[in-house]
Amino acid sequence: MNSDIILETRAVSKFFRDPVDFQALKDISFKISRGQFVSIVGSSGSGKSTLLYLLSTLDTDYEGEILIDNEPLHEKSKNQLAEIRNEKIGFVFQFHYLLPEFTVLDNVMLPALKLGKYDEDTIRKHAYEKLDLLGLGDQAIKKASKLSGGQQQRAAIARALINNPSIIFGDEPTGNLDSKNAQTVFDIFRELQLAFNQTILVVTHDAQFAGSTDRRITLKDGELLSDEMLK
Amino acid sequence: MKSFLKRPAFRIAMTHLLSKKRQTIVAMLGVTFGIAIFIFQAGLMTGFQNMFIEQTVNTSANVRIYNDVQVAKKSIYSKTLPDTSQSWVLVRNQKPKDEEPRLKNGYQMMRIIENHPEVIGVSPFVGSQAIFNMGIAQVAGRVAGVDIERENNTFNVEKYMIDGDLKRLVTTPNGVILGEGLAMKLGAATGDIITVSSAKGSALQMRVVGIHKSGVVELDNSRAYINIRNAQKLLQVDGSYITDLNIKLKDINKAKALAADWQKQFGYTAVDWETANANVFSVFKIQNMVTYLIITSILIVSGFGIFNILMMIIYEKMPDIAILKATGFKDKDIRTIFLTESLVIGIFGGLLGLIVGWGLQQIAGSVKMDIRGFVAMEYLKFNTSAGFYAMAYIFGLVATALAGYIPARKAARVDAIDIIRSK
Repeated sequence: MNSDIILETRAVSKFFRDPVDFQALKDISFKISRGQFVSIVGSSGSGKSTLLYLLSTLDTDYEGEILIDNEPLHEKSKNQLAEIRNEKIGFVFQFHYLLPEFTVLDNVMLPALKLGKYDEDTIRKHAYEKLDLLGLGDQAIKKASKLSGGQQQRAAIARALINNPSIIFGDEPTGNLDSKNAQTVFDIFRELQLAFNQTILVVTHDAQFAGSTDRRITLKDGELLSDEMLK
Repeated sequence: MKSFLKRPAFRIAMTHLLSKKRQTIVAMLGVTFGIAIFIFQAGLMTGFQNMFIEQTVNTSANVRIYNDVQVAKKSIYSKTLPDTSQSWVLVRNQKPKDEEPRLKNGYQMMRIIENHPEVIGVSPFVGSQAIFNMGIAQVAGRVAGVDIERENNTFNVEKYMIDGDLKRLVTTPNGVILGEGLAMKLGAATGDIITVSSAKGSALQMRVVGIHKSGVVELDNSRAYINIRNAQKLLQVDGSYITDLNIKLKDINKAKALAADWQKQFGYTAVDWETANANVFSVFKIQNMVTYLIITSILIVSGFGIFNILMMIIYEKMPDIAILKATGFKDKDIRTIFLTESLVIGIFGGLLGLIVGWGLQQIAGSVKMDIRGFVAMEYLKFNTSAGFYAMAYIFGLVATALAGYIPARKAARVDAIDIIRSK
C-alpha cells in the first residue's frame, strides 16, 4: 500500500440505463499520487465529466473500485461520502456556485463551519489566509454576487481549499473565463501544487491548459485512450 | 439552541428568508391570519360555551332529585290476565291515578345527602305551574318555592339580584322575587302587588320584593321565587311536601356518578347537570366540529402559502443546494435548512397571530351586544385562557411543519450532479 497514492481507480465502469442502455465508461484504471497536477481530456461525450463525478463521490452508481487516500468508496453510506467530500475533496466547477447573498468570506468559511474542526474565529483566520493567497483579501466582505467572473472563480478556489483537501477536482474550471483569467486560474493551481504539494485533477477541453499540466489522461468513447506524463 | 443559531444551516435559512422579504412576510401573514381566526372564532365559541356551563353550574342544581310521575299506566284490569298477548283489553277514558310529584320523606333525604362529603349544599324545592296577574296583565310561569337562605347558600341567588333585597322574601309575609323577563312582561316593579294562582285554584296576593336575573333567558322569563310555605299553600299541601332536591357539589365532574348512586339509594329520579342540558351540549358539539373544520381549512390555506414560498426558494436555489451537497452537506442538513425556514415563518407568524387574535378579542369584547339567546350577555365572552392560546399556537406550528416538510424533503433529494451537468 502506497501512502503517496491519493486516488486510485480499479476497472471502473459506468452504465446509463435511461433512456437506452449505454456504457459510458469501460474499465478505467489509474493511480494519481500526491502532488500531481493531472488533466483529463476528451471530446464531449467521451465520459470525462462522468468519470469526475464518480471520482468525486457525487455519483455512486458504478462498477469497479475507487479509493481516495487508500479508502475504498463503494461501501460507504451517503452520509459518510458527504463527510469525505467535506474533509478531503475540494471542488472547482465551471460555474462558481457561490451563494450570492453571502459575503465572499462566508462562502469560503461554509465548508469549514460544516466540518466543525475549528471554532469560528480560527476558521475566519484560515479563510482570510486562503483569500490572501488568491489575491482576494480586500474583497472578503463583499457580497459574492458583486465580484467579477474571474474573482468569483478565485473565491470558489479559496472555498475548495478551506479544509486543506487531499485532492482538488476541477470540472472545466476555466470554461467560463477569458484567456487571461484562465491563465490566472492555471497559475494558481500550479502555485498550489508547487507550494503546498496539492494534488489536482482537472477535467478540461482546453488543450492549452491540459498541455501545461504534468500528466494528461485522454478518454475516448468511455475508454482510456492514453495516459501521458508531460513532465 | 445557541449553537444551532450559529450553525450554517440556520444562517442559510435566515438568509433565504431575508432575501425574499416580501414573500416571507406574505407567508407569515398567512399563518398570522390562520391563528388570529383560530383565537377569535374558537375563542368566541368556547368562551360562550364555558360561560354557559359556568352559569348553568352556578345557578342550577348539579344534581336534581325529583319524582318523575308516570302518567300513562297499564290498565289495572290487564294485570289480572295471565297472558295479555292472548287477549286484548280496552278501557276507555282511563284517568291517571292521583299521584302527587312529591318526594316522600324529602327532608330526611336532604339530611342524608347533606352529610355526603362531596356535597356543598342541598336546597329543598316546591315547583309548580302558576299564573301571574297584575291588573289585566296575565303571564304563565313557574313558582319556585324555596328556603331562600338555603337556596342562596347553595346557588348564590343574591349575586344575580338586580333590584330589591333577597332578605325581604323572609321578612315580607307574601313576598315574591320575579325573574327579569317575567317582571317585564307583567309590568311589575319592586313593591308592586301581583296575584299568583295555582292550577289547584288557589290564589295569593303577593308583593314583589326583588327582581332576579340569572342570565339564563328561559328561566328569567318564567321563574318566580317564593317562600316554600307559600308554595305549599298555593298547592294546598302539607308542610313536608317538596317536589325537588337541588344539590350542589364540590366537584361537578362527579355529578353523573353521584346521581346514579342516589337514584339507586332513594328510588327517585336523579339527573346530573350534563344530562339535564344534554340537548344544549349536543348543539355545542356540532358547533365545535364546524368551527374546527373552518379553522383547519384556514390553516391548510396558510400551509399552502408556506409550501409555495419554499418551493419557489428551492427552485431558485438549486445551484446553492448542489454546491452545499458537493462541499459535504448531508441530505438532512439540507432538509434542516428548509424546515427551519418554514418553522421560522410559523413561529413568528404564529406569535403575531396570537397578538392579532387577542386584539380582535379585546375589540369585539368591548362592543356592547345585549345578546339574548340561551343566555343573556351584554358583551361577547371569549376564551382567553393560556391553555387555549397555547393550543392555537401548537396547531399553527404543526401546520407549518407539515407544509414545510414536503418541500424540505424534495430539496434534500436534489441530485447535485443533475444541477452541475445542466450548468
